[in-house]
Amino acid sequence: MLDAERLAILTESAKYDVSCSSSCSKRANAKGGLGNASVGGICHSFTPDGRCISLLKMLMSNACLYDCEYCPNRRSADVRRAGVTPDEICELTINFYMRNYIEGLFLSSAVFDTPNRTMELLTETVIKLRKVYNFNGYIHLKGIPHADEALIMRAAKYVDRMSFNVELPSERSLKLLAPQKTKESLLLPMKQLSTAMTYDRENKVRRGRVIPAGQTTQMIIGASPESDGQILRLTEALYRKIGLKRVYYSSYVPVVRSAKLPDAGAGLLREHRLYQADWLIRFYGFDVEEICGAGENLSLDLDPKCGWAMRNMHLFPVEINSAPLEMLLRVPGIGAKGAYRIIEARKFGALDYDNLAKMRIILKRAKHFITCKGKFYGSDSTGAVKAALVLDGMKEHEQQLSMFSSPSVALSALTGEV
Amino acid sequence: MTYYLTDGSEESFYTAVFIAYSDKDCIITSERSIQLGLDVTTVDVVADGEKAERVKRKLHALDRGAEEDIQLVLKSNAALKENAAFEYIKLIIAQGGAVRGMLAHPAVIEMTEIRTRVYGETHRLKGLLRFMENADGVLYAPYSPDNDITDLLAVHFAARFSSKRFVIHDIKRAIAALYDGNEIVMTRAEGAEICLSEYEEYFEGLWRQYYKSVNIESRPHEKQMRGSMPVRYWKFLPEKR
Repeated sequence: MLDAERLAILTESAKYDVSCSSSCSKRANAKGGLGNASVGGICHSFTPDGRCISLLKMLMSNACLYDCEYCPNRRSADVRRAGVTPDEICELTINFYMRNYIEGLFLSSAVFDTPNRTMELLTETVIKLRKVYNFNGYIHLKGIPHADEALIMRAAKYVDRMSFNVELPSERSLKLLAPQKTKESLLLPMKQLSTAMTYDRENKVRRGRVIPAGQTTQMIIGASPESDGQILRLTEALYRKIGLKRVYYSSYVPVVRSAKLPDAGAGLLREHRLYQADWLIRFYGFDVEEICGAGENLSLDLDPKCGWAMRNMHLFPVEINSAPLEMLLRVPGIGAKGAYRIIEARKFGALDYDNLAKMRIILKRAKHFITCKGKFYGSDSTGAVKAALVLDGMKEHEQQLSMFSSPSVALSALTGEV
Repeated sequence: MTYYLTDGSEESFYTAVFIAYSDKDCIITSERSIQLGLDVTTVDVVADGEKAERVKRKLHALDRGAEEDIQLVLKSNAALKENAAFEYIKLIIAQGGAVRGMLAHPAVIEMTEIRTRVYGETHRLKGLLRFMENADGVLYAPYSPDNDITDLLAVHFAARFSSKRFVIHDIKRAIAALYDGNEIVMTRAEGAEICLSEYEEYFEGLWRQYYKSVNIESRPHEKQMRGSMPVRYWKFLPEKR
């Protein structure tokens, strides 16, 4: 039976994988089976770092043959090594699941043998969990780069989500810091999975669709010199060309010392700004060109939406009762939900400032950019608006120096529910 | 002003709506501890299936989804939930159709806010409820929710643990949902004597270890944790006890 020590080693090794979401799949339970998936995802606990626990996140083994500079489990590192058998993983998953500790399994592994052999063992585990243990809860499986397409496609039939981490935002950094991984070995399987998903969708395949919850990826921020503009261009391509569900950013934490890596970690604020920009691209109809120049970094003082608005003051203020949805979404302080609620509510009558407040639309920022029934409640001077927005942002960061800040964007940023 | 006092059941609420509908100055409530003013008269509403049915039929004809919204709101612990639902029904009838899009109307705001709180706690507890396995393989989950949501949770877990037997026990209200692998039964339940499975302690221990290991200590953010997982739920969480 699995002991606490091995579980600790394999969990410690897996926790820097940020993804913990359990959404986007509506897998049903089978007769006599255990579990189903909830489309919106469910968080089961929260750790003192503010992140949610949705999935049992662990490695099959942390004995890695690769030597990626930034990784605590790289071959040359002096750490305790451990591994578990497929049955041990299955039993733990089942027992955690029926006590409602978790929403499912996030299984990953160090490359402890050839890539194919490693991928095979991971696949064997998830198939066993589905077929022998009759488990129908959520499974997120990490793909092993360089493994054969056939192996990856086989696994994809049984799991809800798969992910290959692009690791670093450029090929050059990848060469320097993760020499055994190539850009091709990471992007090719993502494209293959994307093609298989498109096939299923276009042919309306109902049963046994590959990865119903799609793909995600993760990259480390601040371990290499790429600018935010470059990172966001990669992000946009991953969303729009490969159709990823999520790109996760992991601010570099110096857990390992290396001459090739910076001594200090990247700020959490930078990571947060990237997530904000990511949200603007996915939910607010922004193109990366509008948010950040190719070689530039995002401003740390102003969030990217405020930044865009300040550069485009000639488009404001907009009238809340007639502005199209696309424009409401661009008003600082009005979130996606707020914008949709305004659209719905104004069908029944013109809204005034008081109505908005009662609808719990936060007006602290928005008031500088809107009129209600023609009346303006903000400040006329661009300089004063900017100062107010910066001050407002600073107050937020004083309160929370960690990964989240603006509640609307951040609450769901790293929870399992998006 | 007249207070129409219901017994908390849905039937008695709809009966009260029927009786109070043309009363211009009234409140419907199941709250017995309410402060009564000098000019207040009270009416004890006796549930009447026929009257309740007429209101429901009328409502259904105007807005199919309204009954479900009201069902959810009546599970709330909000003091004026019945009256919020009453105002909502009056608005539906005045408008002659669904009103849930009128997001700036006070009656709709009130109703939506109560509904969101009930729905929100249900969603939260789908994650935070903890089962223990007893010696016979029955799963037992004691908890103490703000709102009366045990039946909603039971439906969720019956789909998920369809081949298991489980009990969800609301300690505060002394009610429980029992599932025998087939159907859900709601019952009164004061206490419970549980003989735990021999593996319970082992898996609880592993879970506590997991909780500890998965945390990234260099990025503390307790406020976020408390916001998402309020302290009042902690006494039923093995990782927090």
